[in-house]
Amino acid sequence: MSASRSHLKTSLPSAHAASTQAPSSMRRAPPKSNTSRQQKGPPANMPNADPRHLAIALHHAHRIQAQKDTESLILDRILELVTFPSSPSADPASPSPEDAQAFKSALIPFQPADYDNLIQERNIEGLCGYGLCPREHRKDDSRGSYRITWGAKGSGPGGRGRDMNIVPREKLEMWCSDECAERALYIRVQLAEEPVWERRADDARGKNLLLLEEGRATTRGGKGKASSSATVREVTGQLDNLHMSKTPGSSNLAGDMSKLSVHDSAHSHELALERGDANPALRAGRVDVQIQEKDNLAYKHVTAPEMRPGDDKGGSIEGYVPQEF
Amino acid sequence: MDEDYSSGSVDADREMTRLWRTWRTVFEMLQDRGYEVTEEEVQITLEEFRQKYSDPLGYPDRNKMKIQARPTEAMNLKYTALKTNSNPDPQPDCGTIYVEFCPDSTGVGTKQVRAFNHVVDENNFHTGVFITQTPISPSAVRLLSGVPGRICEHFQEQDLLVNITRHELVPKHVLLSPEEKSRLLQRYRLKESQLPRIQVSDPVARYLGLRRGQVVKIIRRSETAGRYASYRWVI
Repeated sequence: MSASRSHLKTSLPSAHAASTQAPSSMRRAPPKSNTSRQQKGPPANMPNADPRHLAIALHHAHRIQAQKDTESLILDRILELVTFPSSPSADPASPSPEDAQAFKSALIPFQPADYDNLIQERNIEGLCGYGLCPREHRKDDSRGSYRITWGAKGSGPGGRGRDMNIVPREKLEMWCSDECAERALYIRVQLAEEPVWERRADDARGKNLLLLEEGRATTRGGKGKASSSATVREVTGQLDNLHMSKTPGSSNLAGDMSKLSVHDSAHSHELALERGDANPALRAGRVDVQIQEKDNLAYKHVTAPEMRPGDDKGGSIEGYVPQEF
Repeated sequence: MDEDYSSGSVDADREMTRLWRTWRTVFEMLQDRGYEVTEEEVQITLEEFRQKYSDPLGYPDRNKMKIQARPTEAMNLKYTALKTNSNPDPQPDCGTIYVEFCPDSTGVGTKQVRAFNHVVDENNFHTGVFITQTPISPSAVRLLSGVPGRICEHFQEQDLLVNITRHELVPKHVLLSPEEKSRLLQRYRLKESQLPRIQVSDPVARYLGLRRGQVVKIIRRSETAGRYASYRWVI
């Protein structure tokens, strides 16, 4: 009893001390209550801490750090793109290939909100919101917070008259011209919604961005919409692969299947890399999942369900036959 | 012509008065945080302020409005961490504060913030306060808070027109020193995570420049008990 009392007396202040960033008392504490504290779960600096827990904690810490790094990377990219087209005489309709490439690759980690920040930053600098346009953005000195814009002739309802829009002034003042607005928003809809640290490695969204001009060029090529054509091509390519693997025979297929198995250590390592789970402790997943197939399931041929007498009235539900009204 | 001039001067007068009130709140804030400011600086009259900080047209000249203040001894004590074995002589975690008013009336972005960060960094100020007339862009906020080793805060002029802590419904907030904090935790046998919390972005927390992990004592009037103190952990 007295031993446990003394343990209580010593452990409580040390617990407080541990929480109040005073390592002096914490350092003294472990030798005192070394034996009695073990059932409470060891702290992280104890030698008998579970390395798996440590690894998981570290894994999450690394993820948070990666997230912060990405945020600062995006901020750097914004700062870079604020003063973007390298020459003041660049034409937004036909940017130089280097500029276009740099612009597109810089935008890969962006979310639409980050892109909006970039536009705002450029406007503060007095530039058009579209990253490849060196001109100044429109300035409307007259008062009033809304503007009326007129479309081209014949764009109104029923093909007559003109299309009319009421637009907030700040939306109009973001760009130098309507063309640039279209170009910039064409980029914006291609950006991936989810933050970059949640994206999957094989996620193609937001990676191959197209400028408006490139997009139009591909649509004129007769391939349908630019974005869908890429995916369709990918899918057909995959289908071809499937057929290729089937033709040599079913025995080969089984071999391929076993190669694909997730339990294969080399493959699961690749998979982990692809998913961004670089931590060795998590390579097998956070829980040990052991899948045991039931081997007597395929013993009979399976028949399709067929009508039994009384089924037309609904049949029985676990032996209960509903009454007719 | 004459009318134009007078309407201009009315405008200038209004802006000057508003800025004077902001200026006074800034000094009250510095005083409440524990920086060395004189009573004359805090109690500056509109006339003196106008003489000192107006341009020839009567508009305020924000380029002139820069403040530096050093922490008092009491503040140094409050910001000194407890002595530990590994750190037997802890240094106070506070230093000279620098306040700057941004002269740009529209669109404050990363450019101005970068210049401000540069000034703070170059003169080795511990804390910087950047005061603008309009909200600053999100990336500018991120840039401002991303200076390693320094604390940069941002206020809008209109946020400081009135000193919120002087309002009758705002209780008194007192920052506890690390020693007081550890005594409080011992007294009530608490871990700091068991205290009620207050956000860093809380208006009073921003006013006092509180930092994560500090504990603030809030003293309210109570009808039954006279005074009632509660403690909050800044997160």
